[in-house]
This record gives sequence, C-alpha cells and structure tokens, in this order.
Amino acid sequence: MKSLLKVIRRYSITVGVIVLVLFFINVCVFMGVAYMTVSDTNRLDYGRDCMERIGGELLKEKEGIKLSEKGKEILEDTAFLWAMALDKEGCVVWEWKLPEEIPENYTLQEVASFSRWYLKDYPVRIWRSEELLLVFGCGPERVTRYDVMMSAETFEFLPVYIKAMVFANFMVILLFIVFFGFQFYRSMKPLVEGVEMLALGKRTDIKEKGSMGELAAKLNLVSKRLEQQQEQLSKRDEARTEWIAGVSHDIRTPLSLIVGYSDKLAEDGTLSIKNRKLAENMKRQSLIIRQLIADLNLASKLEYQAQPLKKRLCSPAALLRDCIADFYNGQPGVFPDTKNGMTDFFIEVNIGREADGIRVMADEGLIKRALWNLIGNSIRHNEKRCHVTVSLTAKDNGIHWRIEDTGSGIPNEVVRNMECRGDTIHIMGLRIAAQIAGAHGGNLLFIRRDGGNYDVEFFIEREEG
Amino acid sequence: MKIIFEVGRMRMENYKYKILVVDDNGELLNLIGAILKEDGYQEVLMAKSVKDGMRLFHESRPDMAILDIMLPDGDGFILFQRMREETEIPILFLSAKDEDEDRLFGLGLGADDYITKPFLPRELLLRVRAVLKRTYHIKEEKGETVIKLGERRVLPERAAVSFQGEETSLTAKELALLMKLNQNRGRIVTFDALCNAVWGDFYYGYENTLMVHIRHLREKLEDDPSHPKWILTARGIGYLLAKVKL
Repeated sequence: MKSLLKVIRRYSITVGVIVLVLFFINVCVFMGVAYMTVSDTNRLDYGRDCMERIGGELLKEKEGIKLSEKGKEILEDTAFLWAMALDKEGCVVWEWKLPEEIPENYTLQEVASFSRWYLKDYPVRIWRSEELLLVFGCGPERVTRYDVMMSAETFEFLPVYIKAMVFANFMVILLFIVFFGFQFYRSMKPLVEGVEMLALGKRTDIKEKGSMGELAAKLNLVSKRLEQQQEQLSKRDEARTEWIAGVSHDIRTPLSLIVGYSDKLAEDGTLSIKNRKLAENMKRQSLIIRQLIADLNLASKLEYQAQPLKKRLCSPAALLRDCIADFYNGQPGVFPDTKNGMTDFFIEVNIGREADGIRVMADEGLIKRALWNLIGNSIRHNEKRCHVTVSLTAKDNGIHWRIEDTGSGIPNEVVRNMECRGDTIHIMGLRIAAQIAGAHGGNLLFIRRDGGNYDVEFFIEREEG
Repeated sequence: MKIIFEVGRMRMENYKYKILVVDDNGELLNLIGAILKEDGYQEVLMAKSVKDGMRLFHESRPDMAILDIMLPDGDGFILFQRMREETEIPILFLSAKDEDEDRLFGLGLGADDYITKPFLPRELLLRVRAVLKRTYHIKEEKGETVIKLGERRVLPERAAVSFQGEETSLTAKELALLMKLNQNRGRIVTFDALCNAVWGDFYYGYENTLMVHIRHLREKLEDDPSHPKWILTARGIGYLLAKVKL
C-alpha cells in the first residue's frame, strides 16, 4: 500500500509541475505578446513618434497649411493610408490622399466620435499639433481599434483581481489534482492489494469493474492459475510425503519383530558367542534402519514444509551441552551403536561468554537433531580416540555451531554432492542438518582445511523472542 | 535397607500383574507376550481387535494395558477411552505412528506412556516397570529412599549425610542438586538442567553459584574433595554422580 501512496504522490507532483510549467509558459507568452503589441503600436510607421514628427513638418504659409518635403517622405514611409488636419472649426485645412467618402467638415460631436473610434470604417489616430488636429487613417485590414474603459475602482483593484484569479485557478487545479489523484488511487487500490496478495501467495478476488476492470480480470486469472499450480504442487508433495510416511509406518512393525527376535537371540545363552554377536549385529543394524526411516521421514517433511516448526525461546549453549551429554550418556535413539566402539571419543566444548547468555527462538528438537547428525558424523566416520571440538559463537546476527575433529574431515565429494544434489553419496544426516538450518533462516557452511577436506559450521538466524 | 531401583525385587513381584496387550499383528503380540513373560509377568492377555480387547478387559480385569493405535475395527484411542470410563489402570500406547501429534494426542488423553515401534525389548520392559511402579508402588517407596555413596548414606528426608555415626546436614540447594544428579545416576547432567532444577527457568548467571554448591557438596560427600570419586565433572557440559566409586 505504501508503494501506491508513492505512486499517487508522484502522480500529483507530476501534474502540479506540468501545470506550473504551463502557467509559467503562458505568463511568458502573454507578456511577450503584450510587449510586442505595445511596441507594434508605437512602431515608426503608425506610432506616436511618427505622428509628432509629421506634425512638426506642417508649415503655415499664405496659401494655407503645407507639409514639407521631409514631412512627405516621413508620411510616405508610414502605414497611414491617408491624413488630414482640422482647424478649430472642424474644417479640413490640409489633407493627404484623403478618400472621397471622408467629409471635409466635422462637428464637435463627430470629432469626439471618431477620435476614439473609426471614421468611415477607417481606424484613425489623432495628434494635436498646436491649433491643428491631425487625423491619420489606417487600413482597416491592418489595424483594429478597441477602446477600453473601466471604473477607477475596478482599475485600482485590478492587481487584487488578478491575484485572486491566479489563486482561484491554483485552487481549482489543486482540487482537480486531488480529485483525479483520489480517483486514480481508488481504481488502483484493489489492483495493488491484489498484487500484494499474490506476492504473499494468497488468492486475489478483485471486482472486475471500472476503468481497471480488464486489468483486474487478468490479475484474477493469474491468481487462479497460480492457485491451481500451487494446488497441484502441494498435492504432489503431499502424496510424496504421505507415501514416505506410510512406508516408514508399515516398516516399523516388521522391524519391531526383527529387533525383538535378534535381541532374544543375542541374550540366548544356548547360542555360541559368535552367533550371539551376529544377533547383536542384526539388532544394531535394525536400529540403524530405524534411524534411517526416521531421517527419511523428517527429510521429506522438511523438504515439503510439512514439518511445523515448534519454535520457543531456548539457549543455544544449553542445547549444545544437552546434545553432548546425550552422546556421553548413550541414550537409546541418539546413537544405537554407542555400545559398539563409539564410546571412544572426546567432545570438547567451546562456548564464548557472550554466546552462553543468548536466548533465541528455535525448534529445540530439530536443532538438537541437526547437532546430533553433525557431531555423530565426526564420531562415526573417524578412528577411535577422535577428538571433536564444538564451538558456539554469536556473530553477524546468527548463532554458529562449528564442528571440527582430529579425523580426516568431510571429503570434497560430499561437499560437492551437498551443493549439486547428486544421488551418488548418501548424506542424509548432512542434508537434514542443512534443511533444519534453512528452516531457521540459516545454512550449513563447509570450511576448507589446509589438507583439502572440510569442517562444518551449522548456523541459524538469531531470532530473539 | 531399600535402594531406589531394585530390579531383582521388581522382577519377583512382576507375577502379580496382569497385562493386556492389543495389537493387530499376531506375531508381534506373541513376541511382546514372550518378552513380558520372561521378565516375570505370568499373565499376559492378548487381543487383536478393539472388540476382543474389550471382551478380555471385562473378563480378566487386567492391571495394565498396552494398546496399538491402528486396529482392524477401530483405533486404540477409542479403546483407551472406553477402558478409562471404567477403570484407572495404567495404559501404554505402543504404535508405529511416530508423529508428534499422535504422541501428544495419546498422552493428552491421559495415557501413561507412548512407545513407538520399532522398540528395544529392554526399553519396553523399563517403561512398563516404571509405569507399574508409579501406579502401584508409590506409597511403599515413599520415605524409604536412601542414596548410597560408598560408606556414606544420604538421607533426603532429613537432608543429611550419615558417615561413621555422624550426620552432616545439607542445605536445600545442595539436596536439590544431589537429588537431580541421583535421578540420572551414572549419566551426565548438564549445568543447565542442574541450575533449572534449583533456580527454575530463569537460571542464567547462576553457573558460578552452582560451582560453589558442588564444591560444598563434595566437601560433605567425598573423602578428598579435590579429587572427587562420586561427583565427577564433565568439562564444559555438567556433572555426573557415579554409580560406583571411581
């Protein structure tokens, strides 16, 4: 939803900037046009300057008023079509190219009328030169005259009116921005919510109405398809998990019989020591099968997220100590073959002061299972008197358990197999540990030794409750 | 004087208890029957279905029942509830279903234990014995517990150690620690489990205090506290109460 608000804000800002730019351009154009108009009307060919200069070239002679040669030249260069001079009585005392339809006498009313308007459809300009009134006629096709008159009060408040208009315009624009922005927001909101639901892997059901109806319909279709695909995947995963769970369930009863019978044989005093030992081996292998079944079941559940995490606040240090104590105590189920040659190991524990006090949210059972697998690998795959060191540290927002041993280390092929997922090597214990780390936002790291083989580090995200 | 766990005597007493086992697999039934009988349980009743189980239950009134969950005519949970309506005998589930949910459901119904298949015969016997002891022997044992450490005797009831006619008293925390170690005798008990037993869930920071209490305990229980023979240190992990003097 935040992204939608960002879109709206950006949209509003963009519209606002466009409006401001247009307004600025308009003001510039208006001012430019106004300037050009004013300068145009004052141009030499029909401006004030021109009229003044012509007025100065009118000479009073005995025969009447005459225009000097220089005045004629100026007049020829102007855009005026004709010109005349009126005396105090309104009679034409001088004229230049005066059309026939222009009268030669004018009353005071007629002078007042044309002085601000047209004379016989000719827009005229007036210039007072001493006692004479000079009248210049312009071509109606070239010049338009418009007389504006307003009250003094209106003129006085003109700047205020302009400001008010600009303000009102801005308000209207703002209103439109907000209105259209809101409309846009309203039409986009369900779509954005739909996309967010899709991102969360949930179903979307947007109303397919309005301008965004088509898009909403497509989004609903995408959601439906994703749901169908997810359903198919889930069904497949579920079937696989159920199949493994079923097989592991069905195998348990016959395995109970094998364990029971081999136990009876191992305890049977009438059998030779050799045969009793064989029976003991059978029992031990059966218990390894039991462990493998449990591992297979757990691995498949972790793989398809069918194993719910039972996270609670716990101490990583306490989990490690508990796990190592289990090794030494040889609890049934931890390592079935503890009795047969696996007691010959030493586990050293290094827990930093800081790491000892940490409490994190984790599934204790699963973390212990991962540690059992990793420490168990060190013990199982090495010679007797193997020295295993487990260090617990808290760094980079994670809890790290590093398992090192004096044995040969994890071979390169195993590490490669973990990364490339081949089926050439059976490394269920490591895989389960990696899955458990993954389920806790962590991973399994392989640390290369000088000799080429690897030690392992199990880390989880430090999630504090 | 009676020591906490007298396997021999228990075996002698087992013949008194009548155990009903219900499982749909006849071969497994026979095996469980044989395991129990060898351990001294003279009367082991066997049924393959809910119907047979209930019939035997009514006819013989067993002292304990071991039930499978998946049965041909119903499930063990139903059988459990029907039995519970009539009696309070200890009931144990023995099932191939190893899901946490199933185990918690079974225990949540009020079952005394839940064992998953495949099981070690010894594990089954120990659990059966523990349940029977808890149910039928609890009063007999109360007040008679003595922890034997060589020539020393720890008397929990009096919070004291008796040695050569003299008694040394133990503090409440020392006694709690010793009891926790004794419950797991021969096994390592972590610092965390010991602290938890004495100070509860919020034990962090008590490790040094724990070491002090252990030192005091050694002074009272060991001939040479600097070279302990009974309370042994598992370096970096916890302590262990030895079964025999090292």
